[in-house]
Amino acid sequence: MLAAQEHHCDVANEVICAPANVKDWFEFTDPWFTIGPINFTRTSFLMLLAAAITVGLLYFGLRRNRPVPTKFEAAIESLVGFVRDGIARDVIGPEGTKYVPYLLSIFMLILVGNLFEVTPLINFPITSRMALPAFLSLLTYFIFVIIGFSKNGIHYLTDIAWPKAVPVGLRWLVGLIEVVSTFALRPLTLAIRLFANLVAGHLMLTLLLGSGVAFVLAVGEIGPRAGIGVVWFAVGMVFFLFEVFVAVLQAYIFTLLSAVYIQASVHPEH
Amino acid sequence: MEGNIEVLKGAIALIGYGLGAVGPGIGIGIVVGNAITAMARQPEMAGTVRTTMFLGVALTEALALIGFVLFFIA
Repeated sequence: MLAAQEHHCDVANEVICAPANVKDWFEFTDPWFTIGPINFTRTSFLMLLAAAITVGLLYFGLRRNRPVPTKFEAAIESLVGFVRDGIARDVIGPEGTKYVPYLLSIFMLILVGNLFEVTPLINFPITSRMALPAFLSLLTYFIFVIIGFSKNGIHYLTDIAWPKAVPVGLRWLVGLIEVVSTFALRPLTLAIRLFANLVAGHLMLTLLLGSGVAFVLAVGEIGPRAGIGVVWFAVGMVFFLFEVFVAVLQAYIFTLLSAVYIQASVHPEH
Repeated sequence: MEGNIEVLKGAIALIGYGLGAVGPGIGIGIVVGNAITAMARQPEMAGTVRTTMFLGVALTEALALIGFVLFFIA
């Protein structure tokens, strides 16, 4: 948001302060410090912070097994219960309990990373950089492929590429579609869904709130027209609330789809 | 401005994204509409229907989001 003031914004002619280059609003390429070949930027700091917050929440929330939990512990327990009962056992079935640790960690990390978007003074969702969604979706990809092969052997591949339930003449076509959708489109769409939702939300918030601030600050030059900045800021605040909802929903959907893909490998016949 | 291929490319990418959003828009409408019908008919199944609805919305929405990403790549 602060970039809006440094950036050239022609408040006399533009209605919304569109950046000359989208990258100006996203890139934090200036490294804070360098360790060996690794540049340590603001984004990498935020990723470490998200991981630390996730570990800290789970550690301090579940450290003691008290008969009467405190409010904080009860909140963390209900989150864990939601992932265990609402996602893992509901989608995968009784053996879903085995996958709860993985699903819980990706859910918490994505939730914290998404909520950074609406955290004051941070205002940057780390999941809007392709690195994190791509890594998590590759993790899910390897897990469901490995589970598929270890549970069903080579039948996992042959059942997908040559489905028995389809008439013989169409098997090659359905098999081809299934192979492409399972092994190429699933990880791609899983990563892009999270990434694009957060980029779109962040871009919208930045444009609206940044325009609002830029217009209001230019009140000396453009006079009463600065009022438009108040309108943009108000619209931005409405979208702010909507983005809280999107952040939680996308964390849920990523975890839910991971569970569905794992379930398809555990019980390929369904 | 005239003969500026970059401006033209941006405009075409914008139109492409608009076209790409039509199908998923209709699809999400169908998914959510039918989910509401199902919940109204069998309120006791609302939890299951809601989970499945989010799945359907997520799968449909992916197409529009790929269009959104391609708009920036183009």
